[in-house]
Amino acid sequence: MSLDLAFLLRVLIFPGLTFILFLTMFCDWVERKIEARMQNRMGPTYTGPAGVLQPFADFIKLLTKEDIVPFNVRDFVFRLAPILSFSIFAFAFVFLPIDGVSVVSNSNFEGDLVLVLTLVSIANFFLFLSGWSSINPYSATGAARVLTQFLGYDIPLFILALAPAFLAKSLSISKIAASQFIPFAFVVPWVFVLFIITLQAELEKDPFDIPHAETEIVGGYETEYTGRRLAFLKLSKDVQIVLGAAIAVELFLGGPHGPVFYGPSAFWCTLWFVLKLLVVIVLTEYLTCVFARLRIDQALVINWKLILPLSLLSLVAAVGVGLWLYPLR
Amino acid sequence: MNTDKILEALSNALGDGILQTRTLRPEKVCVQVKVGAHRDAVKVLLNQDGNAGISAITGVDLGKTIELMYHIRTCNTIITISVNLTKENAKIESIADLIPGANFHEREVSDLFGVTFEGHPNPGRLILPEDWPENVFPLRKDFVALNFQSKMENSEALKDNGRHSIDERLVNIVFGPQHPALIEPEKFTLKVDGEVVKEVKPRIGYVHRGIEKAAENRTYLQDIYLVERICGICNACHAACFCQTVEAIMGVDVPPRARYLRTIILELNRIHSHMLLLGHVGFEIGYETLFHYMWRDRERVLDITEELTGNRIVASFITIGGVRRDLKEDVISRINAELETLKGRMNFYRQLFEGDSTLKMRTKNVGILSRQDALRLCVVGPVARGSGVDMDVRRDEPYAAYNEVPFKVITYDEGDSWARLMVRLDEIVESINIIQYALEHLPSGPYRVRVPRIVPAGEAIGRVEAPRGELFYYVKSNGTASPERVKVRTPTFANILAFVKIAEGGNIADVPASFVSLDPCFSCTDR
Amino acid sequence: MARLSPILKEVLVHLFKKPATRKYPEEKPHVPEGFRGRQVFDISLCISCGLCARDCPAEAIEMVEVDGKLRPLFHLDRCIFCYQCAESCPRNAIKSSGIFELAAKNKSDLVVKPKTNHTSAGGSQ
Repeated sequence: MSLDLAFLLRVLIFPGLTFILFLTMFCDWVERKIEARMQNRMGPTYTGPAGVLQPFADFIKLLTKEDIVPFNVRDFVFRLAPILSFSIFAFAFVFLPIDGVSVVSNSNFEGDLVLVLTLVSIANFFLFLSGWSSINPYSATGAARVLTQFLGYDIPLFILALAPAFLAKSLSISKIAASQFIPFAFVVPWVFVLFIITLQAELEKDPFDIPHAETEIVGGYETEYTGRRLAFLKLSKDVQIVLGAAIAVELFLGGPHGPVFYGPSAFWCTLWFVLKLLVVIVLTEYLTCVFARLRIDQALVINWKLILPLSLLSLVAAVGVGLWLYPLR
Repeated sequence: MNTDKILEALSNALGDGILQTRTLRPEKVCVQVKVGAHRDAVKVLLNQDGNAGISAITGVDLGKTIELMYHIRTCNTIITISVNLTKENAKIESIADLIPGANFHEREVSDLFGVTFEGHPNPGRLILPEDWPENVFPLRKDFVALNFQSKMENSEALKDNGRHSIDERLVNIVFGPQHPALIEPEKFTLKVDGEVVKEVKPRIGYVHRGIEKAAENRTYLQDIYLVERICGICNACHAACFCQTVEAIMGVDVPPRARYLRTIILELNRIHSHMLLLGHVGFEIGYETLFHYMWRDRERVLDITEELTGNRIVASFITIGGVRRDLKEDVISRINAELETLKGRMNFYRQLFEGDSTLKMRTKNVGILSRQDALRLCVVGPVARGSGVDMDVRRDEPYAAYNEVPFKVITYDEGDSWARLMVRLDEIVESINIIQYALEHLPSGPYRVRVPRIVPAGEAIGRVEAPRGELFYYVKSNGTASPERVKVRTPTFANILAFVKIAEGGNIADVPASFVSLDPCFSCTDR
Repeated sequence: MARLSPILKEVLVHLFKKPATRKYPEEKPHVPEGFRGRQVFDISLCISCGLCARDCPAEAIEMVEVDGKLRPLFHLDRCIFCYQCAESCPRNAIKSSGIFELAAKNKSDLVVKPKTNHTSAGGSQ
């Protein structure tokens, strides 16, 4: 690919960085509004029409606050961790087809599913580092919890992600997205359900909200962060949520593919992508609202005793369905 | 009656250790004993009743001597053992080995009056700050409020009092005074080993406002509003208890309509407090949906309170001699309608608490307080009832209209956080029933009697079942328009030791959940 | 779980309900009769006995001289709105109103002076 203007526009504006940022802010607003309505209250209302600009306002407010670096922290990691985790999450979007093709046209290759999931793990690891580098018992506890939780739940995530890969006979996300005449969520629904639950744990939402359980450990790994760094930390959490939902959309709901009516196909593909993303986000938000927060040992017990065996079994069942649908030649 | 049997047992055991007997109104016995004989007297009283415990320890400055009164709750009444100590030699043996629940009461008296309790397991400051000057005791009559130059750089005083923990490799996690889990400030130092809590050291007194001393400078009428503001959530109970006690000194009987109206506002207070707590539990365990729903439904109770008293939270409804305003007929039907809706909502919450899996995972078998520990630590209220101890002042010693209104006392036997929450949930439904009964059978007549402003000399004890447990008042009057001594023992003060017991040996992650099930109200604790 | 938690359905139902939040300040709340808001003082009934000032628990009433007689002046920043003054007044000269929007930018606005009918400035309109 040549480094010309079209390429730069694709990477930076649409469907690249700027689009992803706007999408993140929009999804954050949707989340907050849905959660508020489920709890019978209003949610963001006054900033912008129906409160749509509230996430922007929060981000900008945090950017203007004083930036305090406590005295004894591990300085380099402390300053770097939020930015790196945000960038790695945003970078993983490059491999996802949003408007029919991925952001950088020839970037997808066989095996980029594994790469994207690994990038998610690495970025989570930087979240852990942000807590570890602030020398504060609350941050340390939060960091230890986030490490334990995401490492534990990564395994079922990988296993479950292999099911659509098998059904599509490819490890490339765009090929998986493109080969879904019927979305895999209906072909192997049990895998989809388990994937959503594991995603809940990866994204640290209730009932797996443990790493930043504010009533127990104040702020978790975010405790010592202020100002710009806190803004980026929060932004990277939001991007993580959108990325997780986007992966679920690509793997199980057919990605950006859908009926195209008149006009450019890029517009319709993006529209379908965003709509499916919102469906997944509303689903995860519903799960957030109906559960209390578990203890870390309870979450781990659920992982090793329940989710992991179930995901292995469901992978086997999915392989069975796959072989039945597309018998080996 | 019971009291005669107890007096007989005391005189048999103590012989001439008993100096005199007098009555604290209404019909409570006070036995004055010699200084060393108080321990035997306490032992006799503990033998009389397996459920006996200490309600409060009051200190009164009588000029040359300090009178120390041990109010022991036994056989559904309060027997007071009183001892007179001279100010020069204010030492007495501690009873903390007989009754572990007396631990904090003795520390408070030693802080505020300067009495030394020999043999106390962990003496030290409880209510006053660490840098309070030595030998200055606020509740003595010769106390002069100087401008203290405290807040000095007294870093020595602010250290951990030099008491070493069991094991030096334990990590200190400080829970409070500022913490998102606590609504009011208190400090609990948890010493943890990994995720297990090994030792808990509470330090209270962060919101001590000196209300008992302030009450001595104001008239009785002004004191009603002062004690009402000890706690925002259970304000009606404080007003009711104070007014009851003063009415007992004066020998005034409140008209029946006033008694029923007092019952109504007290039960409304209870519903409001329990709903606040159950929502707060939701917040602590990460269940925000429960929090929002519960507090939305709590608004109905606040609206009813506003119709009845003119304000949403602080009722200012009860006064000496009755209540301050009447309940009109058209308001009754509105209140009834709201209460019916509330009952339906409580059904939903009951199903939720019994059926929701994550909620039960966080509260069942968490923070277990055994029945034996509950009795030894003399806990009160839903904390005791959740561990199977059947005590409720409304039934044991009825006040207001409770001898005429039928109701059940709810107990659960499990002793864990879930049991304590279920006790409160069921009590809400019982309170709704009580209010509906009271509204239906509201007697007509005056709602207030006029009382003189000067209260004759005397002393009295009053007890009320506040939402958090037994609230205890002792008022002594010297015949002027201001009281001589007002002693308040709030329920959370009696329950703080239970928290130490519950948290030790458990997980850190369980600390907020079990803590909030005790329903702590620190404004009450510190006064 | 033996039976499903009832909150699963309840949350979905609430998604389509109107929020319970009242849009204050566009929607004003209903203030019931007898609400203890700002004091309304009728100077024609006052007999200058001073009982209101004596009984006030917060020392918020000061007797000041107006036209040769002592009248009460209410310090709203100290007042706890208990209305003991209204009870103590032998002539019912103090009554409550439903005005609760009493925020002010300086303390001098929070003084209710005894003029011919009730109030001075103070409180948002």
